[in-house]
Amino acid sequence: MTSNHAPASSGFQNPLPRRPPLLFSRRRSVLAGSSPKPKERKARHTALLPACLTFLCLLCPSLNAQTIDDGIMLARRSLCAGALYTHDSWDSYWQGSLQRVNGNIGTITTQTITMAANYGVTSRLDFIINVPYVWTDASKGVLHGQSGFQDLTLAAKYKLLSIPVGKFGALRAIAVLSGTLPMTNYTPDLQPLSLGANSKTLTGRATLNYLGRRGLYLNGTAAYTFRGNVTLDRSSYYTNGQLYLSNQVAMPNLFNYGTSVGYRKNNVSLLGDFSVQQARGGGDIRPQDMPFVSNRANFSKAGATIKVPVPKVRDLQYWFIYSNTFQGRNVGQANTFTTGLMYTLPFEKRATP
Amino acid sequence: MTRKTPLFRASISAAIFLALALSTSSCSKDIPSSEALPTVTPANTDANAGSWKMIVLSGPTQIPVVAPAPVSDPGYQSELASIKTAQANLTDAQKTAITYWSSGGVLRWNQIMREIAARSDLPPSPNPDGSYPVPSPANPFANPQYPFSNPPYAARAYSYVSVAQYEALKAAWYYKYLYNRPSPFKADTSIKALLPASDIPSYPSEDAVEAGVNIALLTLLFPTSVDEINAKAAEQQQVALISGRASPSDIAAGVALGKAVAAVFAARAASDGMKAAGGSPAIWQSLADNATARGEIPWISQDGPPRPPMLPVFGKVKAWMMTPNDIVNERPGPPPSTSSTQMQTETAEVKSIVNSLTRDQQATVYKWADGVSTVTPPGHWDAIAEPYVSAASFSEVRASRVFALLNMALHDAAVACWDAKYFYFNPRPSQLDPSIKTQTGLPNFPSYVSGHSDFSAAGSDVLSYLFPDGATYFQTQMKEAAMSRLYAGIHYRSDIEVGMDHGKRIGDYTVRFAKTDGAN
Repeated sequence: MTSNHAPASSGFQNPLPRRPPLLFSRRRSVLAGSSPKPKERKARHTALLPACLTFLCLLCPSLNAQTIDDGIMLARRSLCAGALYTHDSWDSYWQGSLQRVNGNIGTITTQTITMAANYGVTSRLDFIINVPYVWTDASKGVLHGQSGFQDLTLAAKYKLLSIPVGKFGALRAIAVLSGTLPMTNYTPDLQPLSLGANSKTLTGRATLNYLGRRGLYLNGTAAYTFRGNVTLDRSSYYTNGQLYLSNQVAMPNLFNYGTSVGYRKNNVSLLGDFSVQQARGGGDIRPQDMPFVSNRANFSKAGATIKVPVPKVRDLQYWFIYSNTFQGRNVGQANTFTTGLMYTLPFEKRATP
Repeated sequence: MTRKTPLFRASISAAIFLALALSTSSCSKDIPSSEALPTVTPANTDANAGSWKMIVLSGPTQIPVVAPAPVSDPGYQSELASIKTAQANLTDAQKTAITYWSSGGVLRWNQIMREIAARSDLPPSPNPDGSYPVPSPANPFANPQYPFSNPPYAARAYSYVSVAQYEALKAAWYYKYLYNRPSPFKADTSIKALLPASDIPSYPSEDAVEAGVNIALLTLLFPTSVDEINAKAAEQQQVALISGRASPSDIAAGVALGKAVAAVFAARAASDGMKAAGGSPAIWQSLADNATARGEIPWISQDGPPRPPMLPVFGKVKAWMMTPNDIVNERPGPPPSTSSTQMQTETAEVKSIVNSLTRDQQATVYKWADGVSTVTPPGHWDAIAEPYVSAASFSEVRASRVFALLNMALHDAAVACWDAKYFYFNPRPSQLDPSIKTQTGLPNFPSYVSGHSDFSAAGSDVLSYLFPDGATYFQTQMKEAAMSRLYAGIHYRSDIEVGMDHGKRIGDYTVRFAKTDGAN
């Protein structure tokens, strides 16, 4: 009958949660950025390459994957594309500031396959596209998991500055304008099992990056995200101390920043990552209630990124990214890992050896 | 490659512009929390409302209201002078308040009550040992706060406040037309009518009657919202005054009448069986034993950790239009046996539906979820009634009749539905087949019959009688609400079909009363 009164599950989730964290998508470009000139490579073709390409293309028509928030640019007329698998799970979450578990949901697991592509239009302008497909599941209780395409991400990444720092390396300043668009009309009203927030977003991002000749990699990035109203299937909802007699939910904007420090050279990246999200508003999850789409979702995450070339396959790179949410509010204490292959296709080179 | 070109400079400018735009823009995307309702000018004064049939009071004079001072009285004249002074110095906040209350006090109090019910609609969190604390009316601010406004609690609360307002307004109408004191704006033409003007006498003030009822009764039902209730009541009284509709003595008499009527209802509430509705471990066990003795699989809680059933003795709570015998007589026949082929078939149907929902069906589930932190199904039907009441331009007493009749039927549906649920103690689909996963939260009480179906049929029945033009719409909403529970995977089809039939029969008790209450 009536209501979900009983179960009261709760979980959390932050609106962007399920999207493979932007951190992940930090793409690297085999071809090295632009400032150092792309090394010349010989065009070697292995038998494996066509096979791999075929494999990737099956995964995603428009592959790519890239990094919206790193300081690396693709070389002109090169495409970096691939597929990434993300596994995100938590059983403990923050109901407001109270950390707890909930027997009505157990462990919430979100799996995502992201097809990603990054194209270097020029040496200073990249276009990025991400297409995620998401599955959610609760290990306890009776709630039905959800699955489907989530939000398309489109980004334009522009290198504003590249300043040589003596003979040691180069400092780059990068601006990114990105947006997300829900690809399906999935519900945002079954948190924490909804695929996402179903909100259109627009993000402005600035990144400062230093890459040393010996491989020292320092990256700092900050972003502000505007989020459009979300439409619910119901005509009233209660959040943040008020009953709203509307199906429209105002979504708090988001401020994100992060740093990465480590080594990057010769197609190998070994980085330590730290990132923070602060929602600019929103209410807390109410005790024993489900999370609500506009909850104030804050978190701090730490993790590591490993990107290494796949032996014997030119321009194919393996990624492994891990993060742990060690502090938060209205989010799960998630352990997240992403793994996948990204391939870089240098059109330019073929044309001009 | 890094030559400084015009493009480069342009990009710098663009970046600066973008940064400024991002840092300064403040999106105006706020969602208004209170609905903008049209101003209501009563189409009819309902001058005979003092003779409409009472429900709880013995008659309109059960609470005496002394005669007001004549218009010529110096004390009354100084009251009028105070209104003029107030009208000359209206603040913006006061003007906003006048606009807010011009939609009708009954409608606004119904909205306020729904908000408070939604705020209180939180089940207690489990203790570390897996037990659950019980909200205590003796200590309402403690954790968990009192009350947990689940659907039966909310149904009862909505009905108490709605019926008390209706009775108090009928009594007020009796005295209004007994004493015939004009509104201040009629007694003194230099006083403006800032609320819609009517010929309804002003003593006692209907706005103040509503404030008095809510100060006493709504606060009794939702003690933690006392500050908000008092603030709204004070604002409503002030608006009655500064709008030129009521004088201080009109208001004082109204508040006193409202509180006195509320006291009658508070006494009823203290002995209506609600205190025992939670049952006891022995009662919970006996319910399961009864089902087992009949050869049926008893309901168990699927909450984690298992939670005591929600208000298992609510079926014994006093109804408005039905006697305890009526409740038993209207009890539906038994559900399909848990060991029957029909139950297997119905369980399989639930699984099939819940695993292949269309987006439209999913939208129906969420529209009618009415779970934690919502106005609950009874409140949902109040929200459905709201635009019809608003558009009908009713007097306050007639508007209050709608909510009284509707919420009496919804409360009686809650009582009768809970009676059936705990009499049969029938398991949910996800208990009989644990592979069934639900599309909304699973309510923590037995399945048969569906509360949504019961509430919605009763609500639709009463509203269809009061607003015949909306009958088709109400029926559509009823069926949608009922079917949403099958789509959600939390009810069998027979819960829904029997529940709708049951709810209609419950609603008919109220409709029969309404046909002879003198208001037609």
